[in-house]
Amino acid sequence: MNPVAMTGLSVALPGVDRPRGLLEPVAPDAAPVDPAALIGKKGLRYKDRATRIGLHLAFAALTDAGLLDDGRLRAPGDRIGVVVSSNLGNADTVCRAVETIAKETTSGLSPMDTPNASSNIIASETAIRFGLRGPNLTVCNGAGSGLDAVRWAGLMVRSGRVDHMVVVGVEPDNPVTRRLVGGPVADGGAALVLSRSGETSPARPAKALLAAGTRTAQSGTAPRRPAGTTPGTALRLTDEPDHVPPGEPSLDLTGWGELSGALGVVQCVAAAAWFAAGGAGTAHAVAGGAGVTLLAPGHAS
Amino acid sequence: MTYPITGAGAVASIGGDLDEVFRSLCEGRSGLAPLRAFDRAQFNAQQLFEIDDRPAEGLDEPGRATRFLLEAVRQAAADAGLPEDLAGIPVLVGTGLRELRSLELWWRDGVPFGADELHFENALRSRFGAVDTHTFAGACSASLYALALAWDLLEQGEAETVIVAGCDVVTESMFGQADRVQFDPPSSVRPFDTERQGTILGEGAAAVVLGRVPAEGRRPRGWLRSVAVNCDAHHQTAPDAAGVRAAVRQAQERAAVTPEEIDLVLLHATGTPLNDRTEATVTAEVFAEARPALTGVKSLTGHTSGSAGLLSLIVALRSLETGVVPPIAGLTDPLPEGAGLNLVSGGPLTGPLRTAQVNSFGFGGVNAVAIVAGAA
Repeated sequence: MNPVAMTGLSVALPGVDRPRGLLEPVAPDAAPVDPAALIGKKGLRYKDRATRIGLHLAFAALTDAGLLDDGRLRAPGDRIGVVVSSNLGNADTVCRAVETIAKETTSGLSPMDTPNASSNIIASETAIRFGLRGPNLTVCNGAGSGLDAVRWAGLMVRSGRVDHMVVVGVEPDNPVTRRLVGGPVADGGAALVLSRSGETSPARPAKALLAAGTRTAQSGTAPRRPAGTTPGTALRLTDEPDHVPPGEPSLDLTGWGELSGALGVVQCVAAAAWFAAGGAGTAHAVAGGAGVTLLAPGHAS
Repeated sequence: MTYPITGAGAVASIGGDLDEVFRSLCEGRSGLAPLRAFDRAQFNAQQLFEIDDRPAEGLDEPGRATRFLLEAVRQAAADAGLPEDLAGIPVLVGTGLRELRSLELWWRDGVPFGADELHFENALRSRFGAVDTHTFAGACSASLYALALAWDLLEQGEAETVIVAGCDVVTESMFGQADRVQFDPPSSVRPFDTERQGTILGEGAAAVVLGRVPAEGRRPRGWLRSVAVNCDAHHQTAPDAAGVRAAVRQAQERAAVTPEEIDLVLLHATGTPLNDRTEATVTAEVFAEARPALTGVKSLTGHTSGSAGLLSLIVALRSLETGVVPPIAGLTDPLPEGAGLNLVSGGPLTGPLRTAQVNSFGFGGVNAVAIVAGAA
């Protein structure tokens, strides 16, 4: 099987604006992510917070992969698709609407909120903004959602539906989402581009390779160290420390609040950053019942 | 490549199983009724295609989308002869509105609810022991999108059997947002009619079992020959003919069928001025001289959102099996773009049918088109 390559990365979390920042300690009291600073204010009016951050992340990851240049698409739009993972994205729009209806009847609603009532708003806005006419999927699958999104994107690349998939994981922080998860939400996320193996080049190098994906009944069933590998060469990405074998390097990626549907995508971007910083071998990401294994670029396939 | 559909199940406002739904469609029975649980004083529109399952008139309860999903999956699994325990089988669910109705009741009325109940993982696990479960929130084409992913799983050798489902109930936020912009709410859904005035939401769930090979000794419901998925990348709420056309052509190419070989099209046909005009234009153009029978279910089921595509697909399978095509209820004067199209109206059409196309389009320009063939 020709592995699918990660060719573009982006991250937007308070205090982190590049993948390498995920390997460093979380800065206290960092400023919130400001999408308009990267992609401008134009077109962001009436968009909800999750959509704004999602557009920012997609822009940065597509640019990193060389698919966007100065905002212009450099590859056929019908061969690029979008997968978004977000559990909480439009929860505030939905809850505000039902509250308004009870108080003021539907005459109190804003027509501009209509698209935001649909849970696929982030993915479809991403397609519209960048002209991405391939498959457009929104995954809302709980704790494993981000890794599931990477798995489905990989599947659609391998099956030949697309040459590239941009995968965005994003969650917004607001009173509704806070109350729903019982604490602060990360208010940001990460994105990556998966490309067909034939689509990498010196100008678009692989930053990691996507290997197997799994799903199990047990939350956090970390894959065992593959036979014949040296201890200490496989990175574990999990917020469940019980599942890190003793002596293995690990990243829990906590500290920004609940990452929810963004977690798996942040984990994969962190793995690529780990490889870029000289980390060798393999990375295993686990979230919810989902698991994804990533290989350093240049790893024999 | 073609894969057998080995089981099917459905629930809608017009029937509790596939047989009843199909009979209602052929006999013209509608599920449209006055609002059953929403506070009528807060809305201009006063009708929906709700499933009448609430314990008390005027009182809503959480978890209904989940309930309909579990029932459709149960029916489909039983129809395919699968065991009660679905542990090794991926279950892919396409939905427009997930459990957002329960979220609304939590926020407004304090009904107990947690973030993990927004999707269907826990319910599918506790009921069927399924662990590889996925919730896709893809607006109105969600269930056919899930079907495309199931196809890819089979084709890539990652599964032997996949269950694909769709489910939706009406949320107050979606109904309310539509109500806000529909000053003169339609009294009925009249797809492809000159007098059509918009759509009305409905509730439903549908499920199919898709296999790599037919179960031994069992005749499949039909064959899935292709599913194409794409995105207009054009407008949030308005469809785009170029994207719809590309999806239809791609589905036909992937299935290696010509327009002349397609006997039946289950239209998306929502009854909104713009969808129907776009769909009629593209259909007339793609099929040109070919004259497949065209029908749609939404005048009787309402627009069942994420479950709509799979519901149409199951109806298509039933038509291929029986040779009976239910009419588009309420269609008397076809829209000008549909002149020359073989729209089924008045009563059911009967005749031999081999291959059908199923259209499903959603908010954000997400298009999915499937081609199915009869079991014979």
